[in-house]
Amino acid sequence: MITNLVVFAFIVGILTGAVVVGANSWALALGLRMSWWRWLLSALWYILLLFLLFAAFTFMGEGEVAAGWRTIGISVVLMVILGAGLARILLASRSHPDS
Amino acid sequence: MKNKSDKGENSCSRREFFKIGGAVAAGLQVGAVAGAGLAAGKDPSTHTGWQHLGDNTQFVDRSKMIRKGPAYEIVGETLRPEMHESAFGRQALIMRDMRQYREMIKSFDAGEERQEGMGNRRPVPQGETSPETTGGEKSTKDDTSFPPVEAFKEPMLSWYKNRPDLYELDKLRVEEIMPKKRKDQEAYGEYYTLINAWSDSWSTHESITEPPEESDFKIGRRKLGDARPFKSPAHAAKLIKKVAHHFGATMVGITTIEPDWCYNYNLRGSKERGSYEVPKHWKYVIAFGVPHQWEQVNSNPNSGTSFDAYSRSSIAARRLETFIKSLGYPARRHSPMDGYDLIAVPYLVKSGLAEQGRHGIAITPETGSNFRAAFVTTNLEMEIDQPIDFGVQAFCEHCQICADICPSSSISKADSNEGMNTRGYKHWEINQTSCYNFWMQSMGGMGCRLCLIACPYSRKSNWLHSLARKVDSKDPTGLVDNGLTYMQKNLFEAPEAHEYLPPPDGRFANFREPPEWLQVKNYLDIDVNDPSIGD
Repeated sequence: MITNLVVFAFIVGILTGAVVVGANSWALALGLRMSWWRWLLSALWYILLLFLLFAAFTFMGEGEVAAGWRTIGISVVLMVILGAGLARILLASRSHPDS
Repeated sequence: MKNKSDKGENSCSRREFFKIGGAVAAGLQVGAVAGAGLAAGKDPSTHTGWQHLGDNTQFVDRSKMIRKGPAYEIVGETLRPEMHESAFGRQALIMRDMRQYREMIKSFDAGEERQEGMGNRRPVPQGETSPETTGGEKSTKDDTSFPPVEAFKEPMLSWYKNRPDLYELDKLRVEEIMPKKRKDQEAYGEYYTLINAWSDSWSTHESITEPPEESDFKIGRRKLGDARPFKSPAHAAKLIKKVAHHFGATMVGITTIEPDWCYNYNLRGSKERGSYEVPKHWKYVIAFGVPHQWEQVNSNPNSGTSFDAYSRSSIAARRLETFIKSLGYPARRHSPMDGYDLIAVPYLVKSGLAEQGRHGIAITPETGSNFRAAFVTTNLEMEIDQPIDFGVQAFCEHCQICADICPSSSISKADSNEGMNTRGYKHWEINQTSCYNFWMQSMGGMGCRLCLIACPYSRKSNWLHSLARKVDSKDPTGLVDNGLTYMQKNLFEAPEAHEYLPPPDGRFANFREPPEWLQVKNYLDIDVNDPSIGD
């Protein structure tokens, strides 16, 4: 069990590094002038997305499939609303795209 | 210029790589988290209080190890095993024959004494040849002496004649090894006090047939030895909790006896069926219990049982009782399979294991209401625990899920338990009679247990439910309470209260489907009527 956990943490760690590098590249490509709090808001949005997914699939794993799908449905609506708000904030800082 | 342009193209392509890589990584991470969520939900280690092998019932997949041919090659005449072939079985026969041999020798000696002076040649008892021919010697009065071969009856006689090597080994055991063991026991036995108590505990299986003044002071027919002093009450409590866990108790608490919470009738083992005085040696109560099997408990009320947790908590109680007795202290178990002389819930509350919920039963922080209790009363002085508050009272006041789902409407839907009075104590109370009447209507293992599993606290210990319980217990505003109750009512599906009833009012519904291994259609070739479909 602990071995599986270590392997999982290792893989997720690598993926997180790639996501951070990729996010920076996207920000540059879209001409976003990212301040620390914009990065923080973006990170919180992403972490919330992962958290809700984790919760939904945990419900499914323990046999509460309906609760899992409902959580995904609510999460999608919630994340779209929050994502739209976040996009407005990020795009407000937009300069000319770098590429 | 050309180099600069190349550099720009390289930079652009590197960025594209990072962009695509980042997006792919994000997708993978989402997938990994979803997979981890599934695994966390399925994780058998979250089945608190139950050992579980997950989807597989074996650790190793043996399908690739299968070999052809019979288990053993037959190389001679095949025979069924006889008792005297094994050392264990033979020991019983040895004891039988040795007893008879000694009695015979005793009666012979008595006769010899009476005939003193009639000659010193000792007659050979019937069935025994002379010591010269058997190797058997003089010491027939010594209990450790092993009889000569000819003194044994069949089948031992023939066996020893054919296997003199085993005769010698048995003789060695009886004449030397066992007496030495007794001496070692005298010299070093105290050093092994706890392991002996531990060992006794696992072998217990006696029933209660005598009043506490007798049964609590015996292990089987053996009187208790001297009480072994503990270093302190805290040491006693620590050890008792530790061994109780090893005996199968998931949660353990200790408190003192409260006569009000002992039944006023039918003291087990007593001939008197009426009121009785609580025995003076019942000073402390060790309260503990185990949850029902997590995969199966959700299929209440019509495909569930109480006896899985009943049995496990009762066995733990027998073991713990014997352990305490083996250390020289009187003890009595109170358990589902052996009966109670005390009321369960108040002691669970007083010992800090649980709070009492709207449904009248105990709610623990670990397993919610999925919990069956047992107790041991004793005079072993232990450090006691205090009642706990992890927010159940406030939660139950606005939750009402158990009351809404109860098929017999036995659970109160009052806003609070103000004004409720059960023999002078204030706590939630239910209509036991209408509850019991529904037990009699339900199918499967008798009972209901629906409130037990519908309770939002009765969830496995995976990260999600553990987090919810932890946050809820720390929230003084009640917002988390409300949020969790809302989620429980709106995210999770459950049949309506009437659906659990028998047809035509209901359809013998269950809170959840039984696990596949308890569904007849998957394993038995019999015709069945599914009550959810009808005839």
